[in-house]
Amino acid sequence: MIECKTKSEIHPSARVAPDAKIGPFCVIGPDVTIGPGTVLGRRVTVTGNTTIGSGNIIGDGCVLGATPQDLKYRGADCLLVIGHNNRIGRNVTVHIGTEPGGYVTRIGDDNFLMEGVHVAHDCFVDNRVHLGRMVQLAGHILIQDGVVMDDMSGAHHFVTIGRYARVGRRTPVRRDVPPYTNFFTEDYGWTAPSVRGVHEAGITAADLKRDEELELRRTLSDLFEDESALQMKIEQLENMGVEGEAAALCEFCQRSLAGKFGRDRESYRGQVPPEAAAILSPEKLAEIQRNKK
Amino acid sequence: MAEISPYSIVEKGAKLASDVVVGPFCYIGGSVKLGSGCVVENNVTIVGQTTIGEKNHIYPMAVIGQTLDGDENKGKCVIGSANNFREHSTIYAGTAKEPTRIGKNNLIMIACQVGAGTKMGDHGIFANCTHIADRAIIEDYVRTSAFSFVDSGIRVGAYTFTAGYVQVDHDAPPFAMIQGSPYRVRGVNTHNLKQCGFGEAEIRSLKRAFRDLYNGTGDLKQDVLKALAADKKANQYVKTLVSYLKSCKPKEADND
Repeated sequence: MIECKTKSEIHPSARVAPDAKIGPFCVIGPDVTIGPGTVLGRRVTVTGNTTIGSGNIIGDGCVLGATPQDLKYRGADCLLVIGHNNRIGRNVTVHIGTEPGGYVTRIGDDNFLMEGVHVAHDCFVDNRVHLGRMVQLAGHILIQDGVVMDDMSGAHHFVTIGRYARVGRRTPVRRDVPPYTNFFTEDYGWTAPSVRGVHEAGITAADLKRDEELELRRTLSDLFEDESALQMKIEQLENMGVEGEAAALCEFCQRSLAGKFGRDRESYRGQVPPEAAAILSPEKLAEIQRNKK
Repeated sequence: MAEISPYSIVEKGAKLASDVVVGPFCYIGGSVKLGSGCVVENNVTIVGQTTIGEKNHIYPMAVIGQTLDGDENKGKCVIGSANNFREHSTIYAGTAKEPTRIGKNNLIMIACQVGAGTKMGDHGIFANCTHIADRAIIEDYVRTSAFSFVDSGIRVGAYTFTAGYVQVDHDAPPFAMIQGSPYRVRGVNTHNLKQCGFGEAEIRSLKRAFRDLYNGTGDLKQDVLKALAADKKANQYVKTLVSYLKSCKPKEADND
């Protein structure tokens, strides 16, 4: 990487770590923090109230922390928080949060975002997530640990994608995806995509104990042999007593079923979700509460 | 005098209004006109014979007015006022005879592409990765979802919503919600119509017309269209729909 600070516009009040490398033609705004060891490629724009952690590699042409595309956004000082050791490919766009969505967009640690990925306002991408080329995430989405989304898949707003699930290529996700499952489409948009089997690589990556893994596999095959009468099957399983990851899977499915349109996070519409409340300062939260009244 | 970053290149001959803001690392060609109140952020390329109206906001990495045949000074692009061109969006220039035209108040989101010679109306919202091919006609108040593809020379009617991953391969009716590839008409875009101030009775009559015309399929029933055209009591929106559908190119027969 060529260190070429003379050809980049870095605002004097931006806090850039001394060993961060900034490529040519970058623009860095006034409220930006960039951690040590982070490498920015060429033509990267970082604006807004954006914090980037350490050891991130950010490719050419990325735009991080721009204003949301949401018409609800009224120009408040919202945050984008990016963790450590992420690999972000070329032309990735990540937006800051909105006022009604909870003020925060967050990307965790060790994620891999390929070319053209868009992470919209108020999204929470946890750790070790792999987003393929051109994956488009709408607003208010939660992507849990270890999720794999293949090329050109997209997610509707307020969707949750469960731990270590995999979304197939070109799949529109309109409802929650249960953990450890494959979620595919076959005919590109006429019928709703559905759960098609277990994501084996996800179970391997989760590194579960042997008993826990067996119970999880049994629960998955019970629930998703076919997706009919899911509610009844979950209740049966819970009466029998499940533990660990299997219990978490049952709870996830139940919450999704209870949510509007099969999306649990619809209940956070116009509210500050718990993930955002963990990041915001107490003063800010108090201010939001006051503004609501 | 326009506020131009010293890192940007604005060619001689470009006409920028006095309050235009141009961020760093932009390139603005010699035949470009920018209206008052325009904000051009960083790393933007505007070339060709491009006229941009008032109060447009052009976000980083957008490219406006390029042509695919290499001679970028010949391309022509006419853009109205108060549009937002988000990051990585690309507007190709048409020819002098058939310029690319964009109306006012459109929101063109990330990585959208508008082809050469496209005529776009007003108040549209085009979600990420909407690809509009050359010479398409997009009417007013159109909403598209991510990964909508409009083929070349295709018309999309006013107030229509296209779901994600739609391929619009033949003319899409107005007031509709369309889904799938190739698309089917799934009903009336009631949400958008209500936002645009349509009354309950009007929406109901449109719903009835759509149910008779399409019945959830992509194929238009010609006999129902004839009956609707003969109906003298139909309200103005149904009349608009009927006259639009009559002027459409018919759907090409599937080869497979």
